[in-house]
Amino acid sequence: MKKILFALVIFVLGFSTANLFAGGEKETEDKMVIRVAEQVPNLITPGSWDGQAFSMNSSIYEYLLEMDAETGELQPSLATEWSTEDGKVWTFKLRQGVKFHNGSSFTSEDVKFTLERTQDPDLGHLKAQDFSIIEKIDTPDDYTVVITLKSVRPTFMYQLTDYNMAILSSEYDYGKLGESAPMGTGPFKLSQLVPKESALLVKNPEYWEPSLPKAEELRIYFVADMEASVSLLEAGQVDVVPQVSPVIARRLTDAAGFKVVSPYQEHRFVALVADREPFSNNDVRLAMKYCIDPQILARACQGVLGETFFYNETPILNRLAQFKEITFRGRNIEKAKEHLAKAGYPKGLTVELYYASDHPYGSELAQTLKELAAPAGINLDLKGFPRDIYLSQYWLNAPMSITGWGVRVDPSMLLTLAYHSEGPWNESHMNDTEVDDLIDSIASEVDNAKRQSYYDRLQELFVERGTVLNIQVPYLVAMRSNVQDYRQPATMLCQYKYTYIE
Amino acid sequence: MEFFKRFSKRLGFMFVTLAVMSFIIFLLVEIMPGDVAQTVLGQSATPESLKALREAMGLDDPVMVRYWRWAGGILKGDLGESFYMRGVQISSIFWRRVGHSIVLALTALLFYVPLSLFFGVVAGVKAGKFTDSVISFFGLATMALPEFVSGVILITIFSVSLKILPITSVIPIGENLWQNLEILVLPALSITFVMFGYVSRMQRSSMINVMNSDYVRAAILKGMPRGYVIFRHALKNALLPSITIIGMNMGWLFGGLIVVETLFGFPGLGSLTMSAIKTRDIPLIEACVLFITLVFVVSTFITDMLYAYLNPRIRFKGGEA
Amino acid sequence: MKNFLLLLKQNPRAILGLSILLLWILLALLGPSLLPYSFSQMDMDNQISRPGLNGHLLGTDALGRDILTRIVYGSRSILTIALMTSLFSSLAGILIGFTAGYFGGFWDTLFLRIMDIVMAIPPLVLSMVVLGILGDSTIASLTIIVSIAYTPATARVARGALLSCKGSEYVDAARIRGESDFYIMFVEILPNTLGPIIVEITARFAYSIMMIASLGFLGVGLQPPTPDWGMMVIENKSIIREAPWAVLYPSLAIASLVIAISLFSDFISKVMIHEK
Repeated sequence: MKKILFALVIFVLGFSTANLFAGGEKETEDKMVIRVAEQVPNLITPGSWDGQAFSMNSSIYEYLLEMDAETGELQPSLATEWSTEDGKVWTFKLRQGVKFHNGSSFTSEDVKFTLERTQDPDLGHLKAQDFSIIEKIDTPDDYTVVITLKSVRPTFMYQLTDYNMAILSSEYDYGKLGESAPMGTGPFKLSQLVPKESALLVKNPEYWEPSLPKAEELRIYFVADMEASVSLLEAGQVDVVPQVSPVIARRLTDAAGFKVVSPYQEHRFVALVADREPFSNNDVRLAMKYCIDPQILARACQGVLGETFFYNETPILNRLAQFKEITFRGRNIEKAKEHLAKAGYPKGLTVELYYASDHPYGSELAQTLKELAAPAGINLDLKGFPRDIYLSQYWLNAPMSITGWGVRVDPSMLLTLAYHSEGPWNESHMNDTEVDDLIDSIASEVDNAKRQSYYDRLQELFVERGTVLNIQVPYLVAMRSNVQDYRQPATMLCQYKYTYIE
Repeated sequence: MEFFKRFSKRLGFMFVTLAVMSFIIFLLVEIMPGDVAQTVLGQSATPESLKALREAMGLDDPVMVRYWRWAGGILKGDLGESFYMRGVQISSIFWRRVGHSIVLALTALLFYVPLSLFFGVVAGVKAGKFTDSVISFFGLATMALPEFVSGVILITIFSVSLKILPITSVIPIGENLWQNLEILVLPALSITFVMFGYVSRMQRSSMINVMNSDYVRAAILKGMPRGYVIFRHALKNALLPSITIIGMNMGWLFGGLIVVETLFGFPGLGSLTMSAIKTRDIPLIEACVLFITLVFVVSTFITDMLYAYLNPRIRFKGGEA
Repeated sequence: MKNFLLLLKQNPRAILGLSILLLWILLALLGPSLLPYSFSQMDMDNQISRPGLNGHLLGTDALGRDILTRIVYGSRSILTIALMTSLFSSLAGILIGFTAGYFGGFWDTLFLRIMDIVMAIPPLVLSMVVLGILGDSTIASLTIIVSIAYTPATARVARGALLSCKGSEYVDAARIRGESDFYIMFVEILPNTLGPIIVEITARFAYSIMMIASLGFLGVGLQPPTPDWGMMVIENKSIIREAPWAVLYPSLAIASLVIAISLFSDFISKVMIHEK
């Protein structure tokens, strides 16, 4: 009996060893295949998509407008022209001859459907608030859409580039099939999806741009662990790994055969919630701001302050045109203590800080903030949760939170969402009439110079009595050196249709 | 006849256990804090949409009704729909992962059972001598390493330094597990370490007991060659307790699977359970935990029966062991 | 007691185990006051530095925190939780197991069946599900849940120990005297069953350490920045190539503690059974 068992062991060991030496990449014939390893997505149906894992959706779905990765300018995609005279009535001319992957034709009906869907109360569409500004949608013919807004919004077209505004087919049941069989007009169509494991996308032969996509197949592996994804990259099993940490980036830049690009920065907003203790008192908010040392924050995220890592006290990205340079107040524990005493906390205070523990940089920032605030007497009680739980249970109710925000190509979108007293994602519960007025003015102002002056004043206000700490962390993509033309504009939607392998 | 009576009694109890367990699991998961509808709808939930979703999911029905709905479905083979990924049938992801985990568990068994039995016997036979000390210490050391620790060490050695085994268990698109058996090696080895320590120690002490028993000593005194005695007499009886241990440790094996699959990203039941817990996907959690319980209960049952069958005292005389 | 010490002297492995255990207990109690750093202190000039450099004996992690300090602090939580878990589960186990074994009959069968059912879910899975759903792990929740997961096993041992004493003469004598059941169980029987029970407690202690480390690894350990050995392993796994020591040392800490307790537990069981 023992002998048989022993023989079996040898057999299995031998088989597996033989296999592992024969292993490695199986023959991929002569097809150009791009292999990506990225995070496991949660929900992927547009409208419920929380912005994890872009490769699949951005290749299957398309939008009315897309953004040029280099210049940031809006480009026609499913809409060929767009115009408005008063900022209230918008006319879009649609591209003709486009087909969805299931064969149905793309018409204005689909655009209407996509937009109206945002207001469906049973859906809980993430863009419901943004698009509640629509008064009515007319479709005079198959390729024209006329949208009338309730009020003037000169930046409306930017809203259509939001990643959750993929154009959906009015004839497809996304409620039932959105998670298991996503379907759009994009350059790649879904061939096979193993939920939470992998997705095989193949070239869309009917794509409206005949020379694109350049690759035949896009294979996406969902790997939870970043280190594991990178090891796949190094082993030659994948070509692209979106979202790597700076430590890994450093290692790969030094190694031959790989390169790292940084398409854009991401926000990490620290919200100092203004409608409850302790941050309802601006002195406490100022005290917290005096505790910050951006150098240390940068180091904690393995970034370099001023190059890959930025910090300021307004929600405007350092790199944007609208940004106003305001001298940073500097870390000053004494001043912090003074403000605390003034607010009635001479002995310091404790406040709970909620954050997503598995989101990049979340844990590092939380712990660093705790260390930085401690000498002033501010004790941060850390409460980290997995991202889904954090976002659905704690985010909007916490006294202090750290949340990752993707870039909004037009900052007024962000301001309306998060800092207007009626904004749906007003995580810091900011309620300041002057701020509200400025935000409203910005949204409806047509004159650029005037708008900029509003931005300037707004940023000054934020420094004075704002409720946010704006930490900008690098978003890095690692890939093999032979991967060319990887494009990912600030919309976060990667454009694999242009990417090819040398 | 005795055996058959025992068999049916135990079988009956097994079904009762499963039924009760399914209810307990259901209760446990359903009464946990946190509103499921809130988790699914997330940031844009309004009171109306929450209410609508709760109704659609049947969350407001009384507990017993919900339980019967779920249990009834399970008995028909319908594992239900994922709460989190709407529209995705659990069965579509579940069985594939279960298959992978079974292969992984079997591989681990194939690794550790012969190894630990063999070395346990050797240690027992050479009790007190140097060989025994080495084997015992090795067993103790590996037993003390939780699976993730041995996993990390294995990764460092085999994937980082030597680069001969994959650091993560990814199955390339278009292929299946059988074309990628190398992804089984490291996870199975990690589990092997812990189990080896445990089983080899049991085997050793059981072997020592048997070697010290009267009939073995008598046989040796009578002049029979030692090797012969070991193989023909001692071994059979010494193996018996170990079989029980192996069977009883199926539970630990499944616990270990969760850790190991998470560490290596192995697409199995363990990592599915983890992901279900992280997203509070209630039906998925219930399906996973129920299945794990099922395997555990069944393996305990089989071990019990195997033990009863092999132990002549029980087989022929009946009664509790 | 003298006997015990004598036996101890003869068993070098037990001495090794006991010394390591005592060392950890000492470190847990006194260590923090001897160390220059706090466990969350970030030395930003020395992130990911090798052991031995710049005043960090075991190196630093990605946030510049001293690993030695974090390990020493971590020993406090893990020892506390593991100790409390083994004590609580044993206490609960004794209560339940004794009651079942003593009164026998229907209660005994019921108890056995219930224990079998609760044991049907592997303890790690059970703990993981409960803690994962609760989300926020504290020392209290970890202790309670792991204790519950382990109670059935200790209850069985307690019951077995009681059953072997049940028919003894002194029990009969006490009954004749008219002592209450409670008295008989806990004053007469318990002292005589201490052997297997103590062995069980020490074994539980070792299992608890492994369980808690594993739970930390799975992400339901104590909230950062409180050091948790299991969480240290998973936190630093992403820099395993730059800083293998950040993963190695917490792992060695876990291993040494479990080995130490196991060695000592082995010895205890030899002693107790020997005396029987």
